Amino acid sequence: MRVAIAGFGTVGQGTAEVIAMRGDMFSRNYGEDVRIVLAMDSRSYAADPEGLDPLKLVETKKVTGRVGESTYASSRRLLSETDYDVLIEVSPTDIVTGGVGLDNIICALERGKDVVTVNKGPLALRFHELSELAEDNGCVLRFEGSVGGAMPIINLCTENLVGERIRSIRGIFNGTCNFILSRMDTGLPFEQALKEAQQLGYAETDPRNDIEGFDTACKVVILANSVFGRDVKFSDVSVTGITSVTDEAIALAADHNMVVRLIGEVSDTKLEVAPRLIPRGHALAISGTLNTAQILSDLAGPITVSGRGAGRIETASAILSDLLAIMDRRRGKSL
Amino acid sequence: MMVNAELYVKDLPGQLVGSLEPISLVDGNIVGVVHDRETIVSNRITVSVTFTVGSAEDLEKLKAIWKKRDVVISRMGSVNETFAMEYMLIGEISASYIEELIDEASKIVQFDSIDVRYSSKTASSKRTAMILVKVRSEDDVDELDMFLAAACRKTGTVYVRGL
Repeated sequence: MRVAIAGFGTVGQGTAEVIAMRGDMFSRNYGEDVRIVLAMDSRSYAADPEGLDPLKLVETKKVTGRVGESTYASSRRLLSETDYDVLIEVSPTDIVTGGVGLDNIICALERGKDVVTVNKGPLALRFHELSELAEDNGCVLRFEGSVGGAMPIINLCTENLVGERIRSIRGIFNGTCNFILSRMDTGLPFEQALKEAQQLGYAETDPRNDIEGFDTACKVVILANSVFGRDVKFSDVSVTGITSVTDEAIALAADHNMVVRLIGEVSDTKLEVAPRLIPRGHALAISGTLNTAQILSDLAGPITVSGRGAGRIETASAILSDLLAIMDRRRGKSL
Repeated sequence: MMVNAELYVKDLPGQLVGSLEPISLVDGNIVGVVHDRETIVSNRITVSVTFTVGSAEDLEKLKAIWKKRDVVISRMGSVNETFAMEYMLIGEISASYIEELIDEASKIVQFDSIDVRYSSKTASSKRTAMILVKVRSEDDVDELDMFLAAACRKTGTVYVRGL
């Protein structure tokens, strides 16, 4: 199977590494290799119809800062001129316009190519349009890693729990906020906890996307549209971030054996991101950078999952699961 | 609603079952039954039964059936189910503001209990109030949530609620 990787930052490189790590599994289970025929970053690309060496691509990127020597003006044109089966879209997220990721996904789906993405922007802004485009062109759009990173949630709900009526999903979908609030549990004021998160690389230099709740809101929109079949946009989410949570408030919550966590909640009627009071010992009272979600369904009752919400190999593991689902589907088709 | 009742039932075969059956007739559920054969008053034994019924109307129907079947109710009390919720308000708030807020809220929902705590530290102009309430129904929880959210929006107060 020929894959094109659009975006060769942390997740793109992790994906290439995982494809190399699972080379034996692809040939053993599916009787075919997964070949990277195109890898592109924001400025450069490398292409070979016979397949590129994934580890060499990662090495080149690390040494030169570019994935290849060739440059391109339009990623859409580059994708149109390349023969591939699956696009792995992992370019930087743009939650305002969808950015180049949106263009890349549309381009691939229009050509009937399957797409695996973790890019939240296009999904939060144009989910139904993209889903319809995939359906019209007989291809699939998979996006497990877009919510919760390595924590299984979307495919868990839409495939494993397909017979359930899911009443609500509540969860911690942003590791940065959870780290900050966990540090505040120990007595640190917000500013200091944020600074520590930045020093450890958990928070960006401009952390607004995380701490204002926008990142979680994107994930809530993706869950609402994909799991609950709703038709909602980013602007439909009621969003309160954690910037106004004071150390006094955290201490008062602790006096009552509770913690404050930024919770994303979605159901047929709710669409909200807000700091919430959680009893200590509750499944959603976890500390650190982990993500967790509690799915409430009618037959199975509450189901709780947790896992690493970000990271090079962790996010790539979600991409791998989508890639394998596509390979399964293709094999099913050919039988 | 959950109800505890003490009944006097004739000490004859079939009377115990006959006194409990009406609970099912009004779609109630029996939680527990204790009958005391040691204490006999006017040829009647004492049966203590705890059960749930859907509404006060159902309870009235049940009482009528018992009366018809000559089951004497010696004592009856209801145990109300309550729903606990926690709220935290962060901002430039005063105790009188919170009191006014609760007064307004009590016009909309039926409180079983209210407990308000304030943060003691005053490093900033912001103060935190934690409001712990028990209300009578889930609808009350939703009503209160909407009321507090709207009030906090008006004053720019940060509103944090429980799960």
